[in-house]
Amino acid sequence: MAEVRMTNINKSFGAVEVIPDLSLTIPDGSFSVLVGPSGCGKSTLLRMIAGLEDVSAGEIHIAGEDVTGAKPSDRGIAMVFQSYALYPHMSVRQNIGFGLKLAKTPKDEINRRVGEAAEILQLGPLLDRKPRQLSGGQRQRVAIGRSIVRKPKVFLFDEPLSNLDAALRTQMRVELAELHAKLNATMIYVTHDQVEAMTMADQIVIMKDGIIQQVGRPMELYNAPQNPFVAGFIGSPRMNLIEGRIAEARKSKILGIRPEHIDVSPDAGEWEGRLRYVEHLGSDTVAYVDSEAAGRITVRLPGEVAISTGDAVFLTPRANNIHLFRADGTVERA
Amino acid sequence: MSRMFTWADAARIIVLLAVSFLILMPIAAAVLGGFKTNGELRVSPFGLPEVWHLQFYGEILGGRRFWVYLGNSFFISIMTVGLTLVLGSMCAFAFAQTRFFGSRFLFGYLLLGLMFPVAAAIMPLFLTVRDLGLLDTAWGVILPQVAFGLAFSIMFFRTFFKEMPSELFDAARVDGCSYIRFYFTFTLPLSTPILATIAVFVFVQSWNNYLLPLIMLNDREGYTWTLGAMDFRGEYAAEWNRTLAFVSATLAPAVVFFLAAQKYIVSGLTGGAVKG
Repeated sequence: MAEVRMTNINKSFGAVEVIPDLSLTIPDGSFSVLVGPSGCGKSTLLRMIAGLEDVSAGEIHIAGEDVTGAKPSDRGIAMVFQSYALYPHMSVRQNIGFGLKLAKTPKDEINRRVGEAAEILQLGPLLDRKPRQLSGGQRQRVAIGRSIVRKPKVFLFDEPLSNLDAALRTQMRVELAELHAKLNATMIYVTHDQVEAMTMADQIVIMKDGIIQQVGRPMELYNAPQNPFVAGFIGSPRMNLIEGRIAEARKSKILGIRPEHIDVSPDAGEWEGRLRYVEHLGSDTVAYVDSEAAGRITVRLPGEVAISTGDAVFLTPRANNIHLFRADGTVERA
Repeated sequence: MSRMFTWADAARIIVLLAVSFLILMPIAAAVLGGFKTNGELRVSPFGLPEVWHLQFYGEILGGRRFWVYLGNSFFISIMTVGLTLVLGSMCAFAFAQTRFFGSRFLFGYLLLGLMFPVAAAIMPLFLTVRDLGLLDTAWGVILPQVAFGLAFSIMFFRTFFKEMPSELFDAARVDGCSYIRFYFTFTLPLSTPILATIAVFVFVQSWNNYLLPLIMLNDREGYTWTLGAMDFRGEYAAEWNRTLAFVSATLAPAVVFFLAAQKYIVSGLTGGAVKG
């Protein structure tokens, strides 16, 4: 069992408090994604789990064992870095086997395990190359290979896909999900990309300014965001968050409605507006409507819709999908 | 379309030729001077020798003394280079990779050493070396040279080490790599360009050092070649041709050392470590 439990963690760099007080449990075998805007403390949190960053206060337990003060290599973790951090003067084989060599694993054993990892990641033909002779995706695989040979209890990923191009990122996303299924290990993944979070995670942890905003399964976060930040962060295009008269009419501070939950009609509806801009994506049509009552509203319509800029339209939010938030940011109704 | 030869090209070539001439001329004069008699050297210092006298070079290369001097110089230079590289890179590694109390102060203090001229310290240096009982030994020259070379080598090493991606160190730590192991497995192999640069610089400086050996060495058996070059100067006359032959013969090791190190003075070895 490799549950990761953090209790009352605090992290300060000098006078700057990056993480005020955080408690979080990553369930055994889960694929948990830490997501949030830049500087929200998610990478720092990951580095603290890895042992690369000291914890100012609080405790970290991995698989029931207190590892708060343990060295990174004694925690049973492996980490994949954003820049891959491959050892430039070592071959792929040496890169993957380096951790095992340091752990004084017998040579046969190293060879066998490097071979296994190479097979899982299809790195066989590349084993004797140097990192500089590899493409971005291949380097990424080597970095993953380096982590899986150590048979860690917990895998840590620090924005591993952000240096790859869009096509490769999608492919690696699938590969990582498959890897998770195959190894059945606990994985903690940091990203600022909510699409990555939504597609890969069993559990998403949304952070902002070092504070956890909400923890839950992707669809929970999508269907029942607990505050306006989570509401705006999850989902693309982002949720319309409307303040003022319309929200007040429903006795709340902010009214949230997702672009896909608004019906558009040419002649009747709740809000009247004019089309400012339309994006035709083929599968969807995204329309930006300026309305007097609600301001700029984003609407997503399925398929190809024959509307164009300048058209007058009426918008009606679906009552079941309206999210209402109080002035203190808590949810009133979702 | 092929480019026309322009006046700018011509000017560039002329300037380059002039600079090469300025550099090569004294060397050529020294090398050729060793083939001339003292009289001819007076009359035509830069021309080709009328008769190629090989005996001056022959005497020097055939004599035991020259090789003793050369050996001493070589030992002192190699030890200076070795110690400077080991101590300098280790210090710089500590400054670049770790944060400890007083590191900035300590580094600033080391940099002060850059501004301190050896000549100004020669008297206290002599006394210290004497008290240590190292007068008339090679170490009496090596240790002060290392001490004075450390400031600048630490500065260069630190800058280079700081540019190494920090995620490389993080990755190594996760793999279970200690500081010392990281230094030997990663820092040193990835720093050959700066190691070679500093090595050449320190070697040449030590090879050509005159003042320190002059102060510290008294026994002729321990002389470096710079002191040995004075063998051909008497009280009333100087045998310039022999001196030039001697100097020319001592140039060779420094040149060989430079050529050997030159191939490592290339950057870009870290390519492929991070996103490329």
